Amino acid sequence: MKKHIIGVLTAITLSTSTVAADYPSKDIQGIIQWGAGGSTDTVMRSISPHAEKELGADIILTNKTGGVGAIAMKYVNGKKADGYTLLMGAENPQMYKVLGLSDIDYNDMIAINVLARGTPIFVARNDAPYNNMQEFLDYAKANPGEVKIGSTGKGGLTSIVMAMLESQVKDLKYTSIPYNGDGPALTALQGDAIDVMPAVLGATIEHVKAGRMKAIGLVDVEANKLLPGVAPITETLPNMESYLPWGPFFGVFVKKDTPKDAVEKLQNAFHKAAFNPDFISLMEKRGFTILNIAGEEAEYFLSGYRSTSSWLVHEAGFAKHSPADFNIPKP
Amino acid sequence: MSRVLLRHPGEALFSLAVLVGAAYLFWQAFHIADAGSLSSPASLPIAASTIMVISASIIVIKTLRMPLHPELRFSHHIFPPIIALVMALLLIFGLALEPVGFLLSAFCFLLLGFVFLYRGKMLWNIGLAITSLALVYLIFRLIFQVVLPEGIVPEREWLAQLAQWFETQE
Amino acid sequence: MDAITYFLSSWVSPELLALTALGTFLGMYVGAIPGLSVTMAVSILISFTFSWDVNNALCLMVGVYMGGVYGGSRTAILLNIPGAPSAIATALDGYPLAKKGLAGEAIGLSTVMSVIGGFIGIIVLAFAAPLVSEFALSFQPRDYMLIGILGIMLVGSLSGNNMSKGVLAGAFGVLIGTVGLDPLTAEERFTFGVVELWNGINPVAVMIGLFGLSEALSQLHHMDKTSVKQVINSVIPKLKDVRKHLPLSLQSSTMGVIVGALPGTGGDIAALMAYDHAKRITKNPTTPFGEGAKEGLVAPEAANNAAVGGAYIPMLTLGIPGDAVTAVFIGALFIHGLNPGPLLMVEKPDMFWFTVGNLTLANLCILIFGLTGIRLFAKIVECPKGILIPLIFLLSIVGAYAINNSITDVWWMLGFGVLGYFMKMYGYPVGPVILGVILSRLIDENWRRAILSEQESLGGLFSGILTSPLSLTLSAAIIFILWSNLPLKPKKLSWRIKPEI
Repeated sequence: MKKHIIGVLTAITLSTSTVAADYPSKDIQGIIQWGAGGSTDTVMRSISPHAEKELGADIILTNKTGGVGAIAMKYVNGKKADGYTLLMGAENPQMYKVLGLSDIDYNDMIAINVLARGTPIFVARNDAPYNNMQEFLDYAKANPGEVKIGSTGKGGLTSIVMAMLESQVKDLKYTSIPYNGDGPALTALQGDAIDVMPAVLGATIEHVKAGRMKAIGLVDVEANKLLPGVAPITETLPNMESYLPWGPFFGVFVKKDTPKDAVEKLQNAFHKAAFNPDFISLMEKRGFTILNIAGEEAEYFLSGYRSTSSWLVHEAGFAKHSPADFNIPKP
Repeated sequence: MSRVLLRHPGEALFSLAVLVGAAYLFWQAFHIADAGSLSSPASLPIAASTIMVISASIIVIKTLRMPLHPELRFSHHIFPPIIALVMALLLIFGLALEPVGFLLSAFCFLLLGFVFLYRGKMLWNIGLAITSLALVYLIFRLIFQVVLPEGIVPEREWLAQLAQWFETQE
Repeated sequence: MDAITYFLSSWVSPELLALTALGTFLGMYVGAIPGLSVTMAVSILISFTFSWDVNNALCLMVGVYMGGVYGGSRTAILLNIPGAPSAIATALDGYPLAKKGLAGEAIGLSTVMSVIGGFIGIIVLAFAAPLVSEFALSFQPRDYMLIGILGIMLVGSLSGNNMSKGVLAGAFGVLIGTVGLDPLTAEERFTFGVVELWNGINPVAVMIGLFGLSEALSQLHHMDKTSVKQVINSVIPKLKDVRKHLPLSLQSSTMGVIVGALPGTGGDIAALMAYDHAKRITKNPTTPFGEGAKEGLVAPEAANNAAVGGAYIPMLTLGIPGDAVTAVFIGALFIHGLNPGPLLMVEKPDMFWFTVGNLTLANLCILIFGLTGIRLFAKIVECPKGILIPLIFLLSIVGAYAINNSITDVWWMLGFGVLGYFMKMYGYPVGPVILGVILSRLIDENWRRAILSEQESLGGLFSGILTSPLSLTLSAAIIFILWSNLPLKPKKLSWRIKPEI
């Protein structure tokens, strides 16, 4: 009893200088880059309890939205590099430099775990007069400007997928209708407000299965076992292969210069957590490919994503800066 | 009460400031990228700020026409010292919140607030401040996990120690 | 037959019953405390109930949702701080009632009306969900734009006797709503190069400042006055009163269900539109609107609780969230291994009837918890002002911080509090500002989508409106309201604070 009181008292006096050796000695704060209910939020909230068990400390999750995730990133990098503040984000920061949103990206942080990657897919409203990529492209060329394609802003998944498509198919003219997120856009697709939408497989799968929209092309090199009948886009446009596989991802990061011991403990905890069968089945059902990578492997993945996307965006003409300014190599 | 509206002290200045602000926003709205096309991000800001400028102009004209209220004084009826004092306290609280931390700055704010507004005995004021602060901390920090600024108070370490202490007691 | 079994499953299990009751009770406080949102609370519960059985977790969350929407009215009535945007309209007439010493009666009436609204929402959900969700999906961007314009007409009702000041305030609100990175193109608007402004100005921060803080500041003028003694003999509203307001509450509930079911709008807009509706159809209110008209309390309370059932309609039938909270529910179902989507109704019909039954149960809990303990709550208003006002300041600051864990929101809240104070002193209504903030995005985004769909042609937009029955109906409603507002009748209501001389 007495010992504990002394313990509390010494903690009060010495607490600011916690030694890293006994990491984690207090709650960890997890900053989720996107809002409650979104895919990033769902993924992070479903892995955190497993990681908590491995770490033996609570992870308090907080959603900090805004500026396509740049605000959360700025917040985490403004904190001490002690491993007590985690950034739980999606792919967006890899485009910050070329879009002029921030001068740091994930390559300037330490990857704890890149958890999983999604696959993009083209879906169309049910009564659209095309059923696959070839028919769609023919129709769009024959009726310039008539096809309404949902988009989620510059640097979003749709803009990059469309940039890939336009690099292969010249003179594609369509009307782009912006939505703030693939959820609202897919809703609009079911109400016939838009005709086609490139979105992540997980967001569309239940709607496609129920016959509320049709899948016209998978942006990957091979078919996906969740939607076996849908042809990969490389069958129509073989040169797309140079960009693929490509897809949005989720990951956990800490600030640069975080003590090695804390980084290792976090990496181990998340690595083990990602093997949890509940987590795996959740990710598979939503059509995500589990990566569960850290260290050099994660860095290689992140750099690859950054160079493909940055150069695509730059060549499509909506980047603020050239990737060359940041020494981002061509893919 | 007469139906003729009288101008309150400072009202003319306020309406002018609103007009200037509206004009500035109007000017800024045209500097949003791509202003001009119907679908541009600037279209609604331009429309709204135009309405602001027009209505603010009408208000300025109406206000300047009103006779000044003969009995009201700005420093007494509109902006008395107590309000200036409270606003200053709020400002200091806001400034201190992050560097000093929530617990300490909120305690000082509450205590001063009670001293100036409630004017109770000092012991009462302190007791009230501690009780209400404890309640707010319990609800926000402990139940709803809102991580309030810690500042110089190392509360996360205290909480961890407390939790450990409870665990070993069981 | 199965449906009834599923419906009742949360009623007969003591565990589920207790969890629903606990959730409702907690939710009432979440709703009442500004800055703590139901969305946030349900997200926290996802982690908290991670390892639970899915039904247990859902009971707790459904309770929090139902209770939270209702709870917003508490602080709106007692302190003029709406606990959530959906309670803004409640504050307009609820707070004046409390100032008159009728807080108990106001809370009682708002409870009964919330419960009636809640039931209407649930009934529509249970029996017409597929129909309503198809209807909701058929709304095109131009229709959302028209709804936004319909909402902005409310400036007329909120402006009191000074239309130009009201219009100014409304336009200012719309501008505030556009600050930040444009959600559609990520262009900067009014950000002046400040990163903190990218996310825009949070409507809740504006709301706490304009309503709560500015009211507390102007209360400082009357520090020497003793607090209003509260009359608390009629906590449970008289049957006569309820019957009198029943038609209005049914109409408001219907508005609430539909607006709630639309994926782009929620309870906040529903409540404000219902308030406007009440003001228009009540020819001779016993008390003028804005000074404690009961009709002004009935309509928004019925509408915002009906919107809960409405928000569930697209979520349970199609897997499309009707609002931010149902979006979190979808995430929760995923985590618990279910597949929320259009197939949920087919694959797991029990889920649907379980939720309907559970919502009904939570609604009954509101009736019980809402009508007990009113005396204690009404006492808050009797608390000496010297204690109450510093506490309101503290709550406003913590609440603003809690929205997004950010000091920036605290500064906005303080700024709008001071601005709101001077606006009140000089007779500018604050209601239209928050109305503008709430509707800004709806109008902005959908106007742009609508005009883009027609390839920037105004003619195309008009012909689109003229050929769609839905758009035509909405346009007719706008023209009707505009026309009925035009002859500016002098109103008794004054927003100006009368300084003591």
